Amino acid sequence: MKKINKVYLVIASIVLMFSIKSNAQIVKAEIRATGLTCSMCSNAINKQLKALPEVTNVETDLNTNTFTVTLKEGNELSPKTFKEKVEKAGFFIGSLVITAKAETISKSPYILVNDKKGVTEVVQFQVVDKGYVTEKEFKKLSKSYKDISTYVANSEDDFHIKILN
Amino acid sequence: MRRIIFAFFLITNIATAQIDVGDTIPSIALKSTSNTEVNITSFKGKYVLIDFWASWCGPCRLGNKKLVKLHNEVSSDKIEIIGISIDTDTNKWLKAVEKDKIKFTQLIDSKGFDAETAIQFGVEELPSKFLFNAEGILIAKNPTEEEIIKLIEK
Repeated sequence: MKKINKVYLVIASIVLMFSIKSNAQIVKAEIRATGLTCSMCSNAINKQLKALPEVTNVETDLNTNTFTVTLKEGNELSPKTFKEKVEKAGFFIGSLVITAKAETISKSPYILVNDKKGVTEVVQFQVVDKGYVTEKEFKKLSKSYKDISTYVANSEDDFHIKILN
Repeated sequence: MRRIIFAFFLITNIATAQIDVGDTIPSIALKSTSNTEVNITSFKGKYVLIDFWASWCGPCRLGNKKLVKLHNEVSSDKIEIIGISIDTDTNKWLKAVEKDKIKFTQLIDSKGFDAETAIQFGVEELPSKFLFNAEGILIAKNPTEEEIIKLIEK
């Protein structure tokens, strides 16, 4: 009996975790890709992103080497998806700036590294974890955030974010 | 049912359209720098090198230098070099052509990687080069300048 209770508890918490996640919603992601070759000269990133059913549009800015990805209403994408797709295309994320509904950042996978300034409907933030910034930047950030234990722990499933607006 | 399968194959074929060694040069007419239409099949009888590029593509601009050199070194009776830009901004393309001192044929299909020509050739990255022989058959993809000279001097 006790065992069953435990199983229920685990299932319930998993369900709860996912239901919390589903309230979070990314509206737009701006991805700057880096790599050994010219990221804009390849159609691979573009193709990977467009293949996501949640993506409605991908625009490229050739001056800033940025891919702007617009997402469908009600999507449940996490920053991890962008990282995976960019890496699948053979590149790395140099910076990832996300625009999301304000309530998104109060949900579980997001950990704020700075304070939110005002009350806004949408929030813009940068993901500052390893793999979401350049290697050089990550070294710098590791020093700045050395007191944030979750940042140092480097888990793939939580995202440390710096609010930009 | 058969028709559906056929249609399916047709669609998948279009989606993965690309030119392979042994294929014939497709008939495509594009605008040139002088705003005249040029069909890429109109140079049969000599080698044709097609180079896909864009003004914003760094490696392409370096490649242009090599192509200009090749153009100066090899007789244009032997090979026609055709640059096809996928720039969406025609002015930037024209400026780059001038800056890189390109005198060989320059055409534009101004829709980026969505350009019909880029899709037909299966261009997924820039620069991309295609060398056709005098009969219009593709003999090499992304050959170096040295390889091009070797192939056409054979």
